[in-house]
Amino acid sequence: MGVELEKSGKDAVRVAPYYAGKYEIVPKIPIKSLRDFAVWYTPGVASVSKAIVESPKLSFEYTSRWNTIAVVTDGTRVLGLGDIGPEAAMPVMEGKAVIFKYLGGVDAIPICLNAREPEKFIEIVKSLEPSFGGINLEDIESPKCFRILDTLRESMQIPVWHDDQLGTASATLAGLINALKIVGKKMGDVRITLLGAGASNVATARILEKAGADPGKLILVDSRGILHAERDDMDELMLKNPWKYELALKTNRERITGGIAEALEGADVLIAASKPGPGVVKKEWIRKMNSDAIVFALANPVPEIWPWDAREAGARIVATGRSDFPNQVNNSLIFPSVFRGALDVKATTITDEMMIRASQALAEYVPEHKLSEDYIIPTMDDWRVYIHVAASVAEQASKQGMARTPLDYDEAYVKAVRIIARARSILERLMEDKFIKPFPEG
Amino acid sequence: MTAVTFRKATLNDLDRLVDLLIRQKRLNEEFDPLLRLREDIAEIGRKYLEEAIKSENSLVVVAEADGRVVGFLKADIKERLFYYPKTEGNIVELYLLPEYRRKGNGVKLLEYAVNILKERAEIITAEFPSLNEIATRFYTNLNFRAIISTYARETIIKK
Repeated sequence: MGVELEKSGKDAVRVAPYYAGKYEIVPKIPIKSLRDFAVWYTPGVASVSKAIVESPKLSFEYTSRWNTIAVVTDGTRVLGLGDIGPEAAMPVMEGKAVIFKYLGGVDAIPICLNAREPEKFIEIVKSLEPSFGGINLEDIESPKCFRILDTLRESMQIPVWHDDQLGTASATLAGLINALKIVGKKMGDVRITLLGAGASNVATARILEKAGADPGKLILVDSRGILHAERDDMDELMLKNPWKYELALKTNRERITGGIAEALEGADVLIAASKPGPGVVKKEWIRKMNSDAIVFALANPVPEIWPWDAREAGARIVATGRSDFPNQVNNSLIFPSVFRGALDVKATTITDEMMIRASQALAEYVPEHKLSEDYIIPTMDDWRVYIHVAASVAEQASKQGMARTPLDYDEAYVKAVRIIARARSILERLMEDKFIKPFPEG
Repeated sequence: MTAVTFRKATLNDLDRLVDLLIRQKRLNEEFDPLLRLREDIAEIGRKYLEEAIKSENSLVVVAEADGRVVGFLKADIKERLFYYPKTEGNIVELYLLPEYRRKGNGVKLLEYAVNILKERAEIITAEFPSLNEIATRFYTNLNFRAIISTYARETIIKK
């Protein structure tokens, strides 16, 4: 893995100036001469503007808005690099934008903001609303990201998603739904230990509760140990991280104290999203978990505990964030299709129920007879999984009255296939015709 | 969650009260850098609370749930030298553990204490850090208002 990492890093920095960016904007209207602009631009376009003045909803029909989202960051917590600032975040956001297009057929515009103050950031993103059908927040540090997401979700009339929170939480929930099926335990009965209380695990805890987990049986562990209602930093949390504070009040009903070891004693599930291992979670701690233990070790590039060590210590199902091991819990399985589905019905928001529906759809895509300890979550290779998840999200949005143009599952399915297939064939043609230059060997 | 009850503190409550007092002071520290905790706060705090429990001119009451102390209030009875009304019940500490907040327990704790204080005090005052917005909101909602301010600066002004 180390060697592979090094190779991809070298390649990336070598080809960055060669391609000078990962995307460009290409018109999708016929332009044969400048005269055509009498329609595309002034004077013709004025009539289109007038129509939108009459009925603002038409901006989703008459402009690219319906399929365009902004990928917005302030660069304060980028990958494992930390606070590297907006310029340095740009290559990452470009990469994300291209994944959106390739997997979801979504046009995503990277926007890296010089706005560290949450209030300023919120104000700017709010003002972007007329140009976009959705907002994907990315790589913003915790706990600031919670307030930004909650505020924007409440105040905007288009979907707002923070992938580090919701994407990871959704993919985790999908994996857990299937893992529990295999071991024959119920969501409401299991004790779940969450190691790490950053963006993704706070979101995971919140969504697990909505998905039927017993909050009293969730145990969160952060760098200061097990979280509980009487921990001596509670007042500090109340002021600085109210999201974690709320979780401290309702989780850990038994008031277990201590560290990871104590948190794992008698636990059925471990969801670790803390810091790269190995050795962050020890084998002897896994041994103390209940039988048929489920271990998600999601840190990248190296999981908190190697899968073989976890298995040896008695874990029955192990998932990681890595593509070279079985059971990759990856937010890339979620975000392209959640937005595909949301955009296809011109959704006003992404509700928790839409998010849970996405997780269920992802989980149910693995057919019962194929479900096994080493196959709890679909891989990214099968593109039909994105269609199924997208259509399920679109249907859920329509049921909940969150769709400007409601669709049922089949209609949404057809629409998503068309859009994603088109995005892929355009890309293929551009490569065939060498408008996209072949990858230079180095 | 079981009901919260109130009673006067005894010396048996001291260990727990010291813990709650430190929590409260730590919360104040979060609001204002001029309220840095002293290292010997546990020792000082214990002496302070012990004296208050024993003193005729102080009142310490505790909030209890499931047989455990989950909050407390301390007030001092003072004479106002220059003003009427002459007798004052001055609340200087009030703390409730997070789980017991936002349920009306703070108000009940205060009312319980005021009920005792009113026998000897004609006016009730409360002292808390100006930047503690939670305390400000709490007392303002109960019809308290600011009458005297304490302003502070360090003797050497840092530029």
